[in-house]
Amino acid sequence: MAEPVVRLKGVVRDFFDGVRTRRVLQQTDLDVFPGEFTVLAGPSGSGKTTLLTIMGLVLAPTLGRVVIAGEDVTGYSEDRLATVRLRKFGFVFQTAALVPALSAMDNVLIATGVQGGRVTPELRKRADTLFEDLGLKEYARLSPAQLSGGEQQRVAIARALISDPSVLLCDEPTSALDVDSSKLVLDTLKRLSRDPKRGVVLVTHDPRVFPYADRLVKIEDGAIAHDTREIGGGDE
Amino acid sequence: MRRHAAVRMLLHDRATTAGSVLGVVAIIFLVGQQLATLSGLVSYMSVLVDRSGADIWITSKDTDNINSAGDLPMKYVDRLLALDDIEWAEPLVLAGGLLKREDGQFQPVRVVGLARPRMAGGPWEFAEGDIGVLLDVDAVTVDRLDLETLGGPEVNDVLEISGVRVRVAGITDGIQGFAGTLVFASEEKAREVGRVSDDRCSNILVTLRPDAKPNHALARIRALLPGAEAYTTAELATNTKLYYLTETGIGFSFGFTTFAGIMVGVVIIVLTMYTTVLNRVRDFAVLRALGARKSDIRLIVLYQALVIGLIGTLIGFFLLAGFLFGTRGSQLPSSMPLWIPPLHALFTLLLCVAGSGLAIRRATRVEPASAFR
Ligand SMILES: Nc1ncnc2c1ncn2[C@@H]1O[C@H](COP(=O)(O)OP(=O)(O)O)[C@@H](O)[C@H]1O
Ligand SMILES: [Mg+2]
Repeated sequence: MAEPVVRLKGVVRDFFDGVRTRRVLQQTDLDVFPGEFTVLAGPSGSGKTTLLTIMGLVLAPTLGRVVIAGEDVTGYSEDRLATVRLRKFGFVFQTAALVPALSAMDNVLIATGVQGGRVTPELRKRADTLFEDLGLKEYARLSPAQLSGGEQQRVAIARALISDPSVLLCDEPTSALDVDSSKLVLDTLKRLSRDPKRGVVLVTHDPRVFPYADRLVKIEDGAIAHDTREIGGGDE
Repeated sequence: MRRHAAVRMLLHDRATTAGSVLGVVAIIFLVGQQLATLSGLVSYMSVLVDRSGADIWITSKDTDNINSAGDLPMKYVDRLLALDDIEWAEPLVLAGGLLKREDGQFQPVRVVGLARPRMAGGPWEFAEGDIGVLLDVDAVTVDRLDLETLGGPEVNDVLEISGVRVRVAGITDGIQGFAGTLVFASEEKAREVGRVSDDRCSNILVTLRPDAKPNHALARIRALLPGAEAYTTAELATNTKLYYLTETGIGFSFGFTTFAGIMVGVVIIVLTMYTTVLNRVRDFAVLRALGARKSDIRLIVLYQALVIGLIGTLIGFFLLAGFLFGTRGSQLPSSMPLWIPPLHALFTLLLCVAGSGLAIRRATRVEPASAFR
């Protein structure tokens, strides 16, 4: 098997809820592989987002190590982590979370330019291609408020892909969408996971998403309860 | 892209952006207007000295300004003329008097008596007549801006100042004193008004030969006249301004209003920028999650502060220019030396940046993880 794009080793996360410290994520080992559509499933409050944000270097684990494409980033400064996020990760949030002040196109371009990087003609071309692939061509100049929920979420996917990330992390990206939009978004993500250089992780509590999974990881009470590969409909 | 995003965000949050801009406009306009008035007043304070054409002023011992008329022996004039550094030396007689208006009321005036034929220290801007009219012993000039205060005298009217009859021979244009209405007259009339005897004068004006060294000449004058003080024109002007600014409380009063204007503007800027950031916390969280460092967020907000500052400064100066042109030539003192606007703009931009500090703090404290909630 290929080298994992994300490797969690003995990762733990505690939260202080105002009264006491609670272990939200039990000691967890998890490898995410490229070319695979990994679905993290579990009931609300089970720790899915916590796990996903630790993988994405957005949240620091209380204990344990995080290795990104062979590089142990544990203990990196905030700025260095931000730079790794910028280079390696694409994020899709529960709501599209577009910046309302920016056009659809600018929302995508800002994702490569937040650290001051210039928008090169190549980047612009790449963005155009993404918009075309995602059926967003005529929406590029519109502001998020002028788009439907499904269209906004597709813009968010384009934003996640603009820097050609090796990991795409999606937190319940279809929970706010209607059935048709959900299917469109899931089909898109599934197609993207076929890229042998990219891993896709999707968090959900919706069993209707399970059929899309190459690998289904079930989480209960902050711990991995099942981890199955369902390629071809069966276990490994 | 960061700067582009910063500007788009400002345009999107029009109401709060306009509020912040208003804060900057308030600072530029209120403070600028105060500065213009103060600088107008300050220029009045030393106007006689500044416009005298003299290089050196002689004053009484222990007098470092020309608020109070000095008292010097006339024979100093001849002594000064004996120095070979000196081109000319002329006495000036300052006298306080009461001008009787046509309606019988009295108005205090400051009579400036000029020695013929050079008329050193005389008026320099005329609405009617010229300095030649003062060669007549009875002649005086009054200023266009003081006509109303003085009961509307016209050229060739005969008036009384402290019981001394004088004839209005010319009207000066915008020559305003600080310590009273200026009336220029002959040396003799000023003596009569102020009961200054023929062997005394208030000040002596001196100009040096072109090749003379001012410091050297000053030292020689001081040695020659141990009973008097000698100042360069610039020194005396500065001393006089400082005297009025500190002794009359005018400095404090203007300082306070200026400070109040600044505070009002800064409070508006701080509150509106903070509000804008509060409304955009979610955007900053998303940008952070996408890979923005704290410094990138800081840069965005800082850039917004600068843009707000620049726009507010432009609008503020536009309004200020309108105000200054509108009040030009009126009795309202106002002047805007060219060095003030750039400093004022720079100072305001710095205030704007400082005022964005709270907003920046809030924006950089946003956790990237909160984008997932
Ligand atoms: N910042 C936080 N502070 C305190 N508790 C938190 C924080 N984030 C998450 N939690 C708690 O951790 C648990 C797991 O949260 P989360 O990972 O968001 O679950 P899921 O995404 O599966 O719904 C929840 O009980 C939640 O209340
Ligand atoms: Mg969640």
